[in-house]
Amino acid sequence: MELLDFIQRRFVMDKETVRKVAMLARLELSEDEMESFTKDLGDILGHLSMLDEVQGLEDYAFNPVEVSDVLRDDEPHQEIDPEELLRDMDTYEDYVRGPRLS
Amino acid sequence: MKIGLEIHVQLPTRSKMFCPCPTDAGTPNSAICPTCLGMPGARPSLNRAALEMGLRLAKLFQCQVPERTWFSRKTYFYPDLAKHFQVTQYENPVGEHGLFDFRGKPIRIRRVHLEEDPGRIRRVGRPGEEMSLVDYNRSGIPLVEIVTEPDLSNPAEARQFLSDMLTEIRHTIGLTDDGEQSVRVDCNISVGEERVEVKNVTGLKNMERALKFELVRQTKMLRSKKPVLRETRRFDEERKVTLPARKKEFEEDYGYIGEPDLGVYNIRAMADALDEVETPLNRAKRLCDQYGIAEGTSRQLVNTSMDLCDLFEEMATASDPKTALFLVTDVISSYWARLSDDLDLGTRGKMIDTASRYGKGEINDIEARSILRGLIAPDDSVGTEKGEGTQALDDAIEAVLSSNPGIFDDYVKNERAANRLIGEVIGRTRGAYSSKEIVDRVKERLQRGP
Amino acid sequence: MSEDISDRIRALNDIYGMFYSISDTDIGKHAFHFSAKDNLATKDHPTTAGSRILSGYRPPFDAAPVESLRRAGGALLGKTSMDEFGFGTFSVNSAFEVPRNPYDIERSCGGSSGGAACAASLISGHLALGVSTGGSISCPAAFCGVYGFTPTYGRVSRHGLLDYGNSLDKVGMLSADCSLIGEMFPLIAGDDPRDPTSCGHPEMRDMDMPTRVGVPRDSVEELPAGLRQTFDSALEVLKEELGMEVETLEMPMFRYAQPAYYIIATSEASTNLARYGGMRYGARGESLDSHFDRYFTDVRSEYLGAEAKRRVLLGTFTRMVGLRDRYYIKALQVRHGVISEYKRAYQKVDAIITPTMPFTAPRFNEVAGMSALEIYLADHLTIPPNLAGMPHLSMPCGYVEGMPVGMQMVGDHWEESMLLKAGEAWERVFERQDPEAMV
Repeated sequence: MELLDFIQRRFVMDKETVRKVAMLARLELSEDEMESFTKDLGDILGHLSMLDEVQGLEDYAFNPVEVSDVLRDDEPHQEIDPEELLRDMDTYEDYVRGPRLS
Repeated sequence: MKIGLEIHVQLPTRSKMFCPCPTDAGTPNSAICPTCLGMPGARPSLNRAALEMGLRLAKLFQCQVPERTWFSRKTYFYPDLAKHFQVTQYENPVGEHGLFDFRGKPIRIRRVHLEEDPGRIRRVGRPGEEMSLVDYNRSGIPLVEIVTEPDLSNPAEARQFLSDMLTEIRHTIGLTDDGEQSVRVDCNISVGEERVEVKNVTGLKNMERALKFELVRQTKMLRSKKPVLRETRRFDEERKVTLPARKKEFEEDYGYIGEPDLGVYNIRAMADALDEVETPLNRAKRLCDQYGIAEGTSRQLVNTSMDLCDLFEEMATASDPKTALFLVTDVISSYWARLSDDLDLGTRGKMIDTASRYGKGEINDIEARSILRGLIAPDDSVGTEKGEGTQALDDAIEAVLSSNPGIFDDYVKNERAANRLIGEVIGRTRGAYSSKEIVDRVKERLQRGP
Repeated sequence: MSEDISDRIRALNDIYGMFYSISDTDIGKHAFHFSAKDNLATKDHPTTAGSRILSGYRPPFDAAPVESLRRAGGALLGKTSMDEFGFGTFSVNSAFEVPRNPYDIERSCGGSSGGAACAASLISGHLALGVSTGGSISCPAAFCGVYGFTPTYGRVSRHGLLDYGNSLDKVGMLSADCSLIGEMFPLIAGDDPRDPTSCGHPEMRDMDMPTRVGVPRDSVEELPAGLRQTFDSALEVLKEELGMEVETLEMPMFRYAQPAYYIIATSEASTNLARYGGMRYGARGESLDSHFDRYFTDVRSEYLGAEAKRRVLLGTFTRMVGLRDRYYIKALQVRHGVISEYKRAYQKVDAIITPTMPFTAPRFNEVAGMSALEIYLADHLTIPPNLAGMPHLSMPCGYVEGMPVGMQMVGDHWEESMLLKAGEAWERVFERQDPEAMV
């Protein structure tokens, strides 16, 4: 319900929307940032809406040139010593330390 | 009651899905590279074997394989997910709209897709304030996810279905473990209208328990006219209960986009080029039909090994199905696990020849057994000749005698009664003694009387 | 190569701020020297892509183009400053050094490869590795009066490039000397299995410079008079001295390239930047003793700059469920349409020419007064080829009030050699004015 409501209001870039998107992106915005981003994103979305004029295009690809069937053989190898990769990481008994889960 | 499953199985490739790190590492964080650590500037490259295994499974489940497939990024933040997005499939997965013939009942397969496993988290610290310790060895291990439609109707059926499915999967992609430990399942279960998802249940047993628990819980709720909430739950393996998963403060949105670092794969052509192999369950069916053997026996055969089935079929051709089945189930199958790898062609030929001679009556059952055992477990007789002692053999004989006290009387009436005892002792001692030794010892024992 | 080159570079850097970090190695012994934009991973230099969130990060490997140039005997002079993750048009969005224009230090170098263009302009015989997503090579090349070459998408391995938009990012070269680019570019081109998008493409083939070029009508409208005049004179030189035919083209899809670009670029960027959460590299949070959502949010909110946040928000929004078809998928369809329009044009002409930027390098105070949207709109000439993955070359073509003007030539996919030939021919007929370095 909440999501549906959100989608219906999608043309409006208001603080509530910015706050929600920021939460998804794991960003916490100051009051100033909230003000300026709401305005900027509103302007930008207004500009992006010109894409609604374009109709009848169906084909698309994720790359601008054809990239197809590039596969690697199943041969294990490691180029860099794991010790070196872990060098600057915060570790405990070979594990990488992370934040709390709860 | 309706049950739908999302089944995750790790694919047995030698290297990871998107980087060449090995998949068999032990020490935490020893099979890692910039790609599976999500380091800036490192990119994925797809393992051909992983894609092929995905396609074999899509074909196994009679899926429609699209002309082209690609990967997508599923973005969410969790400490085990190196890039904070998982490379998975969204549109055009390797297979869609498939079917699994579960003992005559069609179970629809919604989709089969490939994705990377996140790292493994070890939780340390007091419950409620657990720190995460991450091992990225698992990060990037290839997974296949198979999603069924809600066509299963009870927990036992779901378990049996998954067990059958795993039999087929194991054979199709060369999985060596039985899946009991490694298969991870998300279960969707609805007794009434509302659907409940139990996430990330490991193994068949736990899945059945989780489903049973939900069946009882939801039924009780409905009986007492309480609403069943549409929610995500988790299964607590210790307490064997499902619990509501911790509510997020807001709805996550994975914001799928295409993975631009990999390009597309023309998989229809690749899938067509893969050779068709008879699956274990199809073979079990065929063995029933073709050789007239019982369904349970044929399933047992295919479950033991498809190679053993080959041997059975060759023996059946050289003699007759009954003879072949007797020799395979009575003698060979108990040794199979340790010999299947190094069964050379010569030995194989001799085994088939033995079946043929036994079939024609040139040798009797004891002789046939003895010859076969000599062929497949020659080391054992060597071992006993060195005088390792016969204590274990005597113990086995006494054990069989104690459960067959009438055998002394039978033996007095007819010496052939010894064969029953011999057969059981052979089974118990698993090739540790030569057949001559067993036959002599058993006869000697029977002659001594109770 | 002079022995005190690194002293000179340090002195230049004090004024112009083009380097984020400078090598101590003795470059005198090497065949040639080059610089790398700071979003290219280097083992012996910190690599931050202009972001505080990567402070202190030392990659365990070299980016493929850096590796290739080193292997060919090149010495890396240093890492050039840039807009954070490439997010900008004026190089003012760097968390560190903001490069200053060689022709007027009160003005911007352009962006996001501003440091690269500045280095190319001020250090003679210098080759700068730059990266373009939406014009980040062309724009600073034009503002700093150097040649800026952006190859076809996929021509150069992106292994070791810190991503902005993976379907748009291209590693290219900037130099005051176009023939140096022509000589060095093949070293970094070609298949690299570590970047699948670089594999399986047509080889570089030797081509002549274009004989027929087209100018999209919309691209020259509304240009400031001085710039228009300079561009028109340059077209005359192409006709008179290089014998090219010039015609006017209608490219109606181009006006949609910009919105499509910002959607694709930010959608991809917002997923690329998700990984920066303070766990394994770069900036760390205060204490791991907080819930992971809190931890990641704190690190990201503190260490990402304003423009990075703006683009992450925009990109996260445009790929949300329910919006993705309207924005993200639509943008991909428009890209496809723009590529088709290019392909149709290339049946009539060999290359397409426009001014590179619709104005010369602005003053920093002018940049500060521009809104986010105004800045986005400034890229409207460089975005179409970048969106479409078409190779392009920005060439210095004149000066307005002492500030350089660039013209941009765009070829069809994989026709790099045609553009480089044109650049080398142009170099023979156009007299570049070196900036007067204040050192």
